[in-house]
Amino acid sequence: MSTNNLKLLCTKFNNLKINYVITRTASNWKPPKYRPPYWYMPKERVLTEDNLTQDNRMFIKEIIQDKLQAQAAMESPLENISQTETMQWTPGKKRVGLIARKIGNYPMWDKDGKKVLTTLLQVIDNHVIKYIPPENFKPMIHKVKQPQEHRRLGCMLVGAENIDPSTVTKDYCGLFNSVGMLPKRHLCRFMVSPEAALPTGTPLYATHFRVGDHIDVRAKTIDRGFQGVMKRWGFKGMPASHGVTKTHRRPGNIGAGGEKARVWPGTKMPGNMGNRWRITRGVKILRINTKHNIIWTLGVAIPGETGAMCYLFDTVLPLKKHKTSPPFPTQPPLDNLPLEYYDDSIHEFESPTISFEEI
Amino acid sequence: MNQADVSKLVSKLRIKVKAEHRNLRNPKGPEGRIDKLRKTVTGLIKFERIEVNYNRGDEARQYAERLISEAIRHGDCHTPTMKMADFWLLEKELVHKLFKVLVPRFENSNVSFTKMYKAPKPQYSRNLEKAVLELRGNPYPDLFTKQPNNRLWIQNVLLEAAKHDYRQSKYAEIAQNMAKNEEPTQVNSEAPKSEIIEDIKTQ
Amino acid sequence: MIFLEFRALSTLPERVEEPPQEEPKEVPQRRGPKSTNPILEHRHIYPEFLPDPNPKWRNSLREKMERADMLKRRQQIDIPEFYVGSILAVTIADPHAQGKTNKFVGICIERKGCGLRAEFTLRNVVDHQGLEVRYDLYDPTIDKIQVLRLEKRLDDKLFYLRDALPEYSTFPLDMDPEILPEGTPVPVNPLKVKLKPKPWLERWERQELKGIANIEQYLTTTNRLNRKLRQTPWEKFDLMKQYRKTIPMEEQSDIWSEVNNQLQQLQMARKKMARKRTFTAPKTQLG
Repeated sequence: MSTNNLKLLCTKFNNLKINYVITRTASNWKPPKYRPPYWYMPKERVLTEDNLTQDNRMFIKEIIQDKLQAQAAMESPLENISQTETMQWTPGKKRVGLIARKIGNYPMWDKDGKKVLTTLLQVIDNHVIKYIPPENFKPMIHKVKQPQEHRRLGCMLVGAENIDPSTVTKDYCGLFNSVGMLPKRHLCRFMVSPEAALPTGTPLYATHFRVGDHIDVRAKTIDRGFQGVMKRWGFKGMPASHGVTKTHRRPGNIGAGGEKARVWPGTKMPGNMGNRWRITRGVKILRINTKHNIIWTLGVAIPGETGAMCYLFDTVLPLKKHKTSPPFPTQPPLDNLPLEYYDDSIHEFESPTISFEEI
Repeated sequence: MNQADVSKLVSKLRIKVKAEHRNLRNPKGPEGRIDKLRKTVTGLIKFERIEVNYNRGDEARQYAERLISEAIRHGDCHTPTMKMADFWLLEKELVHKLFKVLVPRFENSNVSFTKMYKAPKPQYSRNLEKAVLELRGNPYPDLFTKQPNNRLWIQNVLLEAAKHDYRQSKYAEIAQNMAKNEEPTQVNSEAPKSEIIEDIKTQ
Repeated sequence: MIFLEFRALSTLPERVEEPPQEEPKEVPQRRGPKSTNPILEHRHIYPEFLPDPNPKWRNSLREKMERADMLKRRQQIDIPEFYVGSILAVTIADPHAQGKTNKFVGICIERKGCGLRAEFTLRNVVDHQGLEVRYDLYDPTIDKIQVLRLEKRLDDKLFYLRDALPEYSTFPLDMDPEILPEGTPVPVNPLKVKLKPKPWLERWERQELKGIANIEQYLTTTNRLNRKLRQTPWEKFDLMKQYRKTIPMEEQSDIWSEVNNQLQQLQMARKKMARKRTFTAPKTQLG
């Protein structure tokens, strides 16, 4: 009897418990992942005086030059493969991307005489470093064994810009030496379909994309430092006069009282502006130079200052995806390519002055 | 985008120049900044080696380099240059030094006219960073000890040997190619000692 | 400890200065300005070939591509030598105009921008209404740029014409080109304009303009005081400020030697055309 009463009491108390607790988090906020990918090795090295004689210094330079020349003269491994098995592109397949450097902006004119601003992206010494097939690709190393997950895409490591091997750490050099390449300044991963896999050492050129294609560009935005709300979030500020004192560029109220007597997570406040990875999607390619590997893209919205690195890949926007087969898996090096490709809408600087016909 | 100023021609400085100047906080504003720098430039030309705060030294260094390069370019018969020297050098006997001593000293040099070193400061101190600013070819002893003969140091000995081997293998390959005379292959041989080089370089 | 020693040394300037002063050989040598490269003179005629001096926006490859594109455009259209103060006639293709072309005559009051962004502004007064048109120099819709009167004015920018009497910026739309004999330097027009009374668009009195005749009569004592307070006499001695605004000589000579050949070919072609025009000009007048 007594136990029965006790149970009844417990259930009554349980009913009294408040279990509708509001979770106080912004839905779009996730904690940052600080863990680097497992193939990552620290690159920066403390440079010290190595007390070499001038002769030996020249000798080391000579060896680096020799190796670079050998790598440049190395024929693309794609030439042998493409003859034997030709890959077919289908809409779902993901190709590798490129690493490019933003080198500036300048205007071009379209065939109606309208001025369009373009951004120039230079593709420098891009080589495929390594391909990790989907079954071997496990980006997170967990302490507890995880259930087997099914991966569809493999990981392609692409390097850009040759550097002096003595300026980086031995670990970083090892990443490249293990596959027989020379170290590169930038190393990036692209998720690709297994059909689009490329052998190590394949050079990638600007002709990987075609004129008129749309691409996504991922880059770091310009670091503007610690900024106030007017610059960072575009707040209006407060009037300059009419009795306003000391609050001309301040945010004003940041929260209400009563139940919500606190600052809500995600409130727009002053803080560090820029220096974040951002993706500009669906950027159109207007012109390609095959000699210097330069891509002209429409608009000036590519993140980052002049000289910033950016990653280019096929767009994911459903309406701007490839309609026809792009160079798949990539464009092999050809000798007889024209120097420049122009989009149909763009006026070429060599062509005569625009004139309008009377209708 | 702005058009470059074409009214004046200047020679290129052989030192790194920041994109923007430093304000060198001063109650008198830009005028006070120039006054401060005038004192430092005068001191540098006078004493040829001075110790200053890093920021101020770096700014003054740029002005000193520009002054000397203007003096070299235009000579002492050019009125605007003379006025410039008169403005920047507070002690007037230094104007003579600029045109009669420094111009002949630096006329045919291909490197910068000044040198700047970071000066030592106590560890964990919150003092401003100090620097030593000096003119090249000054009469004082060198700030750094001259390199002793380091040919016999271990890294140089190993590299000498590696170089010898590398050259030998290269010659052997060239000889082979000449002997074959069929198809010239690329010079792409891995020298046996090259791994050692890599080790030394990347340590 | 080492530094102390050197600092002590550095307080002995006499020893440093004495020996060089005793060199009498150096005195007779007159060091004039070093012989400059003649191709550097291109910078006045084609200022837009020089890149923006701000190092944040510099990139040698982009500048090279830009220059190549500019030269390609110059092959298609003859862009003549002109300065701020010259009077130009510009014909452009315009889909909305009658006859699909539009011609405008005016005085060039500003020239700015570098590379393909280069632009100039023409000003004229038509039917007592001031008009200003900004043209991109390398716009492919520009059909023809004709210099009607080649001359310079006393200032780099002639914005004060907006506040001047309208007769100073009135030019007939059917003006005939004035041909300068070959080899003569570009004349500088010493014309001083008269301003209208206040209100003005800018504070012209603070800008040290040479081309205004009657500015003093409109100024109040406060204006004069403010002008004096805001003067920056030290700025002309700021060597690094000048340096950051210009492209150094060494870089310029690289740029000009790259484009010199093509520019000279274009000049030759233009001279040929000019000679033809002088022969044909009388015929048209007769007809």
